[in-house]
Amino acid sequence: MIATWYAIVSFMLIAYVALDGRNFGAGMLHWVVARTPEERRQVIAAIGPLWSWHEVWLVGFGGTLLAVFPRLLASAFAGYYLALFLILWCLILRGVSIEVGGHINDRQWQGFWDFVFVVSNFLLAILFGAAAGNVMRGVPLDADGTFSMAFFTDFKPRGNVGLLDWYTVSMAVFTTVILSAHGATYLTLKTEGPVHDRSAKWAKFLWVAAVPLFGAVSIESWQVHPDLFRQAMHNPFCWLGWLILVGSIFGIASGMSAQRELRAFVGSNVLLAGLLITGASALFPVTLYSTLAPENSLTAYDVAASHSALVFASIWWPVGLALAITYFVFVARRYAGKVSIKRDTQGFY
Amino acid sequence: MNSYLSNPAFWSRFQFGFTLTYHYLFPQLTMGLAWFIVYWKWRALKTGDEQYNKAVRFWAKIFGLNFAVGVVTGIPMEFQFGTNWASFTRYAGGVIGQTLAMEGMFAFFLESAFVGALIWGEKRLGPRYHFLAALGVALGSWISGFFILVTNAFMQHPVGYRVEAHGLLGIASPSAYLLNPWALVQFSHNQMAALVTGSFVVTAIGAFYTLRGLHRNQAQLYLRSGILVGLVASVFVALPTGDQQAKMVGRHQPVTLAAMEGKFEGGSMAGVAMIGQPNVAARRLDNPIEFPGALSFLAYGHFGSYVHGLDEYPTNVWPDNIELLYYSFHLMITLGTIFIALMAFANFQNWRGRLTSSVWLLWVLMLAFPFPYIANILGWMTAELGRQPWLIYGVFQTRDGYSKVVSNGDAIFTLIGFVGLYFVLGLLFLFLVGREIGHGPEEEVVTEEVAPRLPEVIVRQREEHFV
Repeated sequence: MIATWYAIVSFMLIAYVALDGRNFGAGMLHWVVARTPEERRQVIAAIGPLWSWHEVWLVGFGGTLLAVFPRLLASAFAGYYLALFLILWCLILRGVSIEVGGHINDRQWQGFWDFVFVVSNFLLAILFGAAAGNVMRGVPLDADGTFSMAFFTDFKPRGNVGLLDWYTVSMAVFTTVILSAHGATYLTLKTEGPVHDRSAKWAKFLWVAAVPLFGAVSIESWQVHPDLFRQAMHNPFCWLGWLILVGSIFGIASGMSAQRELRAFVGSNVLLAGLLITGASALFPVTLYSTLAPENSLTAYDVAASHSALVFASIWWPVGLALAITYFVFVARRYAGKVSIKRDTQGFY
Repeated sequence: MNSYLSNPAFWSRFQFGFTLTYHYLFPQLTMGLAWFIVYWKWRALKTGDEQYNKAVRFWAKIFGLNFAVGVVTGIPMEFQFGTNWASFTRYAGGVIGQTLAMEGMFAFFLESAFVGALIWGEKRLGPRYHFLAALGVALGSWISGFFILVTNAFMQHPVGYRVEAHGLLGIASPSAYLLNPWALVQFSHNQMAALVTGSFVVTAIGAFYTLRGLHRNQAQLYLRSGILVGLVASVFVALPTGDQQAKMVGRHQPVTLAAMEGKFEGGSMAGVAMIGQPNVAARRLDNPIEFPGALSFLAYGHFGSYVHGLDEYPTNVWPDNIELLYYSFHLMITLGTIFIALMAFANFQNWRGRLTSSVWLLWVLMLAFPFPYIANILGWMTAELGRQPWLIYGVFQTRDGYSKVVSNGDAIFTLIGFVGLYFVLGLLFLFLVGREIGHGPEEEVVTEEVAPRLPEVIVRQREEHFV
């Protein structure tokens, strides 16, 4: 039961990263792939109508975590207090910049909101990347299973660590690059004209750049957390994750060279899923490592809610997911195909 | 007062209270407005009258701005359970987390999938699917309200739970938890109050345009729909929902009822104070003017019924801010009564055919729209201040619920951050909504044009230079 819930919560996180990741990526590349005001509206229109649907996955993930692993949410959110509020403020600014940018047909107004859009997406990618690094590395959990952490201490990933050290910073850089690549692949699929051509170029460059970075963070992860790799060797889900990863790389490479944009974008989503599946299954059953003492680490079994709560959640969750997918299929079919400024803006976006 | 400031639970409470109050300015309008849009879209489908489509397009823009601010200010609410209320989350997450997660899965996915379609998708979707989108958004917003109220009702009147291994709360009966009688009453009361806000805003815009002599047909439509729904919803807020809510408080939180009414001494024939200030130090209501027996009758059904006084309870279970609770409750009741009177009079004038010619009434209707917002917030203040000193009534105290690892300074810092950010957000919202109201519902939608490359002055200067 608890292992299943670990998988479900991981699935919701994966869905959030794959879905909102495209918006982060498109946001970070906004200035370089779109140069004129028309082109910039095109990028916003490509992510516009569904961004809040994507962000809801974060809410769904948070709510489910609260229901089934309340102690994890309590420890992690209180411990990351300031970093988490930075994420919240960036999410607010990002959402606002998408919504209000197109409201006034004025160059200065749109330029300002484009700026907010780009900067908040960059910060979000960096913060989420650093957060992923923190989960892989561990946090200074004490014997009560709580922690409170500085932004950075001595930049070393052991002992009394901070949010940022050389390992989490390199994870942040890696995340920024692959999410940008993901966004570029998405824009290639959804746009036409100069934005499409520039996005295709950036996608190629960023995916190629991601390869050495991936090697580097893998070696670093092994340095920081050798146990993780030993555990991963014995976990069939890790091997599955690797397999998915390799398959997705072929998907992206063949999709881009054959200009099959949908195939490349599916590959890009699968790649993010593969990375996260590998990470999540290597960590299991631990949900939060302690860098101070291994016995302080919180496993899924330590943080789970009471049995009856898990049973109740197992009843409604599948129903909720089925409904969510139904709405999505309905709406996504209506938004299929390239965006068109003439049809999709109605004066906004 | 000093003990307040050095109390870490205080700052977490303040931050939650501030961010929640601000957040709830937006969903209360979306929940009320959504059904106006559904109704107009349905009329447009049935009659093919372009007036209704114009109304839908105009209000969808106002709705969209509200929705966007509601979404971005809502996410911090869920996160604060973990950041500021970690001890509470650890203890009760298995119960309250259920409905918070269900809100995401059942309501937000529905709402957010269709809200874009409602606001920007008219051309892509066609009229029928556009109507469905409006319906999906309206249902989603009410389902979302329901799950939040179930969560709150559990904190007010915990049912369907049991204490399980490691002292954590679990669900003993899902149906008892989801169909908590407190939740059903509070949900009806709250949704009616949201409809009041929606109808007052619709009415106010109608009155504004009528006074300016603009968009005559649209203004008529807003005024007539607004005052009719406004009257019905204002009555329902009081009877039966508000009345039932007060009875519920009397039954399950008698000490809260005593504090709401400033009753320090118990007794039969208990009165309702029209005027009076609670004096907690002296344990009396200063200069009261009362309706004798009214409280006994309203809370328990007989003028002779016994109403408990605060004196019968130890002070450590008294709500910790009796004055604020008393004023919030009384002002809410006063405003609610005025709403019924105003809307009844507006409907009467409309029936006589004098609504649009009565300038002073239009002025009042135009300026009345902030007051339902105030009444809604006062109602929530009554509910939440009345719940103190408990986080879960009778089960878990507020002072045990905050995050021990978060310092006062951290909480104050993020609170100030929210105050600043939300101030800017509020200005931005008012500016954009004001602009939409200025453009009005008749404006033709421009699609082709995007921002000009150079301001015209510069272009002209350059042309002159070449000449």
